[in-house]
Amino acid sequence: MIAGVNSTMNHRPSELGRPTSTKRKLRDLLLQRDNRACADCGAPDPKWASANIGVFVCLKCCGVHRSLGTHISKVLSVTLDEWSDEEIDSMIEVGGNSAANSIYEAYIPDGFSKPKPDSSHEERMKFIRSKYELQEFLKPSLRIVSMPTGKSSLRPSFSRKLMDNFRSSSTQKTEGMVEFIGLVKVKVVKGTNLAVRDMLSSDPYVVLTLGHQTVQTAVVKSNLNPVWNEDLMLSVPQQYGPIKLSVFDHDTFSADDIMGEAEIDIQPLITSATAFGDAGMFANMQIGKWLKSHDNALIEDSIINIVDGKVKQEVMLKLQNVESGELDLELEWLALDQ
Amino acid sequence: MGIVFTRLFSSLFGNREARILVLGLDNAGKTTILYRMQMGEVVSTIPTIGFNVETVQYNNIKFQVWDLGGQTSIRPYWRCYFPNTQAIIYVVDSSDTDRLVIAKDEFHAILEEEELKGAVVLLFANKQDLPGALDDASVTEALELHKIKSRQWAIFKTSAIKGEGIFEGLDWLSNTLKSGGG
Repeated sequence: MIAGVNSTMNHRPSELGRPTSTKRKLRDLLLQRDNRACADCGAPDPKWASANIGVFVCLKCCGVHRSLGTHISKVLSVTLDEWSDEEIDSMIEVGGNSAANSIYEAYIPDGFSKPKPDSSHEERMKFIRSKYELQEFLKPSLRIVSMPTGKSSLRPSFSRKLMDNFRSSSTQKTEGMVEFIGLVKVKVVKGTNLAVRDMLSSDPYVVLTLGHQTVQTAVVKSNLNPVWNEDLMLSVPQQYGPIKLSVFDHDTFSADDIMGEAEIDIQPLITSATAFGDAGMFANMQIGKWLKSHDNALIEDSIINIVDGKVKQEVMLKLQNVESGELDLELEWLALDQ
Repeated sequence: MGIVFTRLFSSLFGNREARILVLGLDNAGKTTILYRMQMGEVVSTIPTIGFNVETVQYNNIKFQVWDLGGQTSIRPYWRCYFPNTQAIIYVVDSSDTDRLVIAKDEFHAILEEEELKGAVVLLFANKQDLPGALDDASVTEALELHKIKSRQWAIFKTSAIKGEGIFEGLDWLSNTLKSGGG
């Protein structure tokens, strides 16, 4: 349970994607040739693994592995999960997909073909259960050793029940599922010359909205030039629009007043970051630009830079639909590939 | 303040939905539970990279249920969804005894969050259909639920695959929310 302490929510997002040396061993293993295809269906570029079985699998097969229970298969993401040293060592000990399959697929009976990358969930389910849960394709001698409780006792009835449950519910629902492509960290730096909404000053705070998500800064009391330096985080789905920014004046006894708004186009940031891939591989440099135009709120062209391995963009906005006010922001893009 | 702001919006749009977050470690069964509640069916799931959101109507309450991905590196972003949440459904894989300590740590970290101070907590000791699954009393002990202070909570044994326990939990949740909890 070493991972327990690190994996709590206090974990800093900035530590994402910085492999430690053990994690690098795992990456090296993943890059081994036989691990470039899913151990179960052959789909390219698997990013998931069964840590106890020792195979790398694709996202679809990983879904089946997860449904078997952790007593059969413990599924972890190579990129999104934290691995313990023991888990990594046991993957290395197995030696990858070829070595594992030489055991788990030693005797595939005639007429039983492996699923393909485009196979249905049912086909995958049938094969993966036969392969790992029932262990039907092991060498006959191994079958007895590896299943000392005997197939005739508990397992078949239990697995048949599972199977029946899945059969009765083959409707697959994928719509409504959103996949993030990454996260935008927005540092709300400061406001300048904001509008007066109370007697002499305002109590401003900033609200950012992207799709369903809304995040906001703290309220700064009686200040038209507030400094927030506050990091806000928004998750970016595959289909994204601009971030909508609004500044409000906080009122205790009445509704909060609007102090201007602006839109932030995050496409230049994401497009240029995606084009460069792993920013950690590059020295500090300019990689893109969001251009000032008559139909956006930019005060000047906004440059996208790689700074110490991070993709950052400074944005200065003139607030719209208000008499005065400017806002300084700093964006950072964190890609979240599975 | 955020609360004033959203109250204003709810009254403007007559939005009476209760906002619920479904949280828990990866592969606890969160997505299966969400779609069991919403469609009454078992769906085959893949890991949720991001979130699923569905509206569930139950006992005259409309729940807007957010199911957030549970992988280690996604968990820090749960906090983006915390504001204005009335209830947390925390899902535990009761058969994954190796990771109960992590499930406990994450759970108590959530309870510490200022923005979730008023949220009621419903726990699902899920995957009761798997061999070696701990019952609700053992999960209560493993997650140290006795340490919860000044908050309404309840735990139910569930099997999302068999459809057991989930609606009993929702009964508790809707009654608790109606009586002003959260």
